[in-house]
Amino acid sequence: MKPLSRRDVLRGMLAGTAVSVGLPPLEAMFNVNGTAYAAGGGLPLRFGLFFWGNGNLPERWTPTGEGTDWTLSEQLEPLAGVKDLITVVSGMSLHTDNVYPHTSGSSGILTGANLLAYEDGRQDGTFEIPSIDQLIAGHIGGDTIYRSLETGAFPGTKGNSFNGPNNKNPPELSPIAFYERIFGSTFREPGEEGVVDPSLALRRSVLDAVMADVEKVNARVGAADRIRLEQHLTGIRELELRLARLAEDPPSLESCMRASEPAAEYPQVEGRHPVSDIHRAMTDLLVMAVACDQTRVFSHWFSDPLTNKLYPGATMGHHSLTHDEPGEQPEVNMITKFIMGEFAYMVEALAAVPEGDESVLDHMVLLATSETSRGQTHSFEEMPIVLAGGACGGLNQGIHYRSHTGENASKVMLSLVRAMGINAPTFGLGAGEVSDGLSAIQA
Amino acid sequence: MRLSWMFMAILVGCGESDKDSAGSGVTLDRSVPEVSLPEPTLRRLTRVQYDNAISALLGGGLVLPSSLDPDQVTDGLRAIGASLTTISPRGVELYEDAAFDLVQQALASPENRAVLVPCDETDDGCGESVIAEFATKAWRRPLEDEELSTLVAIAEQAEDVLDDFDAGLNYALSAVLQSPHFLFRVELGEPDPSGDGRRFTNHEMASRMSFLLWNTIPDDELMRAAAAGELTEDETLRTQLERMVADPRFEDGVRAFFTDMWTLYQLDDMTKDPTVFTHMSPEVGASAREETLLGVVENVVYEDGDYRDLFTTTRTFLDRKLASIYNVRAPVREGFGEAILSDEGVRRGVLGQVSFLALQSHAVNSSATLRGKFVREVLLCQYIPPPPSDVDTSIPEASADAVTLRERVAVHLEDEFCASCHQLVDPIGLGLEQFDGLGHYRTTESGGVIDPTGELDGVAFSDAWGLAGAVSEHDRLPRCLTQTAMAYASGHSVTDGEQDAVEYLDAGFRHHNHSVSFLMTDLVMSVAFRQAGEIE
Repeated sequence: MKPLSRRDVLRGMLAGTAVSVGLPPLEAMFNVNGTAYAAGGGLPLRFGLFFWGNGNLPERWTPTGEGTDWTLSEQLEPLAGVKDLITVVSGMSLHTDNVYPHTSGSSGILTGANLLAYEDGRQDGTFEIPSIDQLIAGHIGGDTIYRSLETGAFPGTKGNSFNGPNNKNPPELSPIAFYERIFGSTFREPGEEGVVDPSLALRRSVLDAVMADVEKVNARVGAADRIRLEQHLTGIRELELRLARLAEDPPSLESCMRASEPAAEYPQVEGRHPVSDIHRAMTDLLVMAVACDQTRVFSHWFSDPLTNKLYPGATMGHHSLTHDEPGEQPEVNMITKFIMGEFAYMVEALAAVPEGDESVLDHMVLLATSETSRGQTHSFEEMPIVLAGGACGGLNQGIHYRSHTGENASKVMLSLVRAMGINAPTFGLGAGEVSDGLSAIQA
Repeated sequence: MRLSWMFMAILVGCGESDKDSAGSGVTLDRSVPEVSLPEPTLRRLTRVQYDNAISALLGGGLVLPSSLDPDQVTDGLRAIGASLTTISPRGVELYEDAAFDLVQQALASPENRAVLVPCDETDDGCGESVIAEFATKAWRRPLEDEELSTLVAIAEQAEDVLDDFDAGLNYALSAVLQSPHFLFRVELGEPDPSGDGRRFTNHEMASRMSFLLWNTIPDDELMRAAAAGELTEDETLRTQLERMVADPRFEDGVRAFFTDMWTLYQLDDMTKDPTVFTHMSPEVGASAREETLLGVVENVVYEDGDYRDLFTTTRTFLDRKLASIYNVRAPVREGFGEAILSDEGVRRGVLGQVSFLALQSHAVNSSATLRGKFVREVLLCQYIPPPPSDVDTSIPEASADAVTLRERVAVHLEDEFCASCHQLVDPIGLGLEQFDGLGHYRTTESGGVIDPTGELDGVAFSDAWGLAGAVSEHDRLPRCLTQTAMAYASGHSVTDGEQDAVEYLDAGFRHHNHSVSFLMTDLVMSVAFRQAGEIE
């Protein structure tokens, strides 16, 4: 059979058939790509989240000195090499309800709202509103192949990237599977042509039929189900757009190239996952996915809230240690420092990718945080927050801002959302809601 | 109302006295409950249901997808989470990938293809008949003409472009597998022709029965019965029910129910420090689950036994790995074999199994609190509130005065504030302290002698053996299983309007010697399973 040319495929798609819908004009859909950049459209802003579970030890975390004149703490010392690129925000609190150890904190920091409550007042592990990564993706995720990417480091990690109630984006936990998803057969390096594959148009026809099915069910169900099906529809539309984009020429970005293939497996060593190796492999892939503008929003779940995984060198699970390790908790301290070292790797990797005269990190913000400060008491005070990157000049770098009044951590989140060019009036709901950002971190 | 009377007739006429396996001669006297049911909602297929449905549709031997949207647990059950969760954007991508990959695998295998495509592809209407049959089975209902023509058009378009019959089929069948009609259980009910209110349709009943009892899609016979209107009539419904319970697939349904209720899926991701537990290896979790499920299946499916016996039986099923943890002789060299535990020891029943003891523990040590909480919440349906967030929940480290866990957690029970909850759970878990964090038997901890005595709601016990007896005789145990079975079958937490239905089923369950298979069939026959709530 004669292979179809790319032109034929596009023509076929546009002409439509019995089961495919007409496409919106291509120009309208793909106005942000390599050509647009070249024409001076400016570099895109990106958002990244690095989340770890079980918090820190505030007395060993908080830097000394404030503003631009400050010294890293013991737990932040692994970030010494990138001190000028980061901003530490200390002394912030969650003003949301602290009902369920760990889960309340996850919702509090990532949404500024309480967990979804049942009619009888009980709350469950689901967020009521989207997590900050999805809030941002809803605004800036629409122009790339992937609206957002979610990854994790520890096997079994579930993440907390919520599109809405009971709707979580599962993180990819296998580096090789993640590699194949992003850099597999459909990936094109700058300069190559888009994917020429007649199956893309056929897959879109299938999705059209599926969408019609969803609409049909939607007409019969109750209000709660309609919300669920709308969310399903959103996902289908996104996949349709993605398939359409694959046929486009890839954006011409100077540092973009196919990432190198990670190891197929990461076996345990003495009952401990080689979490640093997995994390770094994932980071390398994420960094290249961002450099290639495959996505502008990612969330990386280094570990889950409440995780009781065994860290290398630790004698108990992490969560058990935060509660039961006596005294100054040297193992908890060791683990927090280890995590900060892994965060530093991600910051350095993003800073190492040039974009014009600057780096990818300069054109984004990376937020590192956890669901609590001191794990032992599930404290909502002294929340750990580290930012990296300048968001194209929107955010200050190299400072330590300390709140002496336990300000609402949502203020930081609102500043980050606004730094992404999103005109958001507020962040959070109820007691966690704010309408002012944190001016000290805004440039 | 008429429906109620019909049920009464059935109960008196053919049900209770014949089936009175108690042999007590006492007739069960219960009146059909009034129920008020919540709005029906879509249930997403669980991961296991998806896999089972794929095997039923495409045949065995396929490499199943390594990841799909994960199951959500709500109020303790994945069955409830399935009614609340949706399909995430990532899920859409994963289900799409999986559909194409699975259909392609099946069409590439001559064996699977022969079943899927029994006609000659050059024959007129071959493709259409394959698609119609596949979609009807996958969607668990007859297709509308328009639905079939859309699918056929997809196949024709793909066949034209790719010039290949199977490629055409691949696109149409993949569309079927990505549709909400497949991925969700669309069971919304219809007006009840014999009275007020709504009932589930015949095809919805086929689906509900099949997922509950077999954890997969209906088979051809059940679809036939649905098409013939047999699943909304008591007598013919019962005929199908009896067939289903006698079918080997009933074992899958029972396994799925207990796996969900007892959170046995968590055994796949259990963290244990192998430097502390030398018996630990990655296979222990799966072995432990199999031990528990083999015991459950033996009790429920093959012996129609008493649910309470699961907590007191000395019979179990072990492989070499578990035998070494229990320090008994392996019954067989390969796989699992039956073993009888010594009645001189303290280990018996589910509460003496690794699946419970290791899961409700930490990575290096046991946990009296987690174990006690499981007994209260999962076995007795007593909700234990979480600890307040802003307190130091650390357990004091071992000292000369406090060596064992019982001595160390004494603070939980002395402090009035902590004790309000911990007194409900810790004494149960302390009765199990002679099993370490993996489930290995011990009599001392860090040199201190373990005291396993305690009391469960007024019943004193001297060790784990005695605790197992106290749990098995606890008045809440049967009622809790009934309630959980209702929630599992309906996909929602039991509401106020269903309390009478729980009472009704509970009475039958107790009367029938706590037979779980009786409970499940009684449940299917009950109004709570067959009637549908209004859609607002």
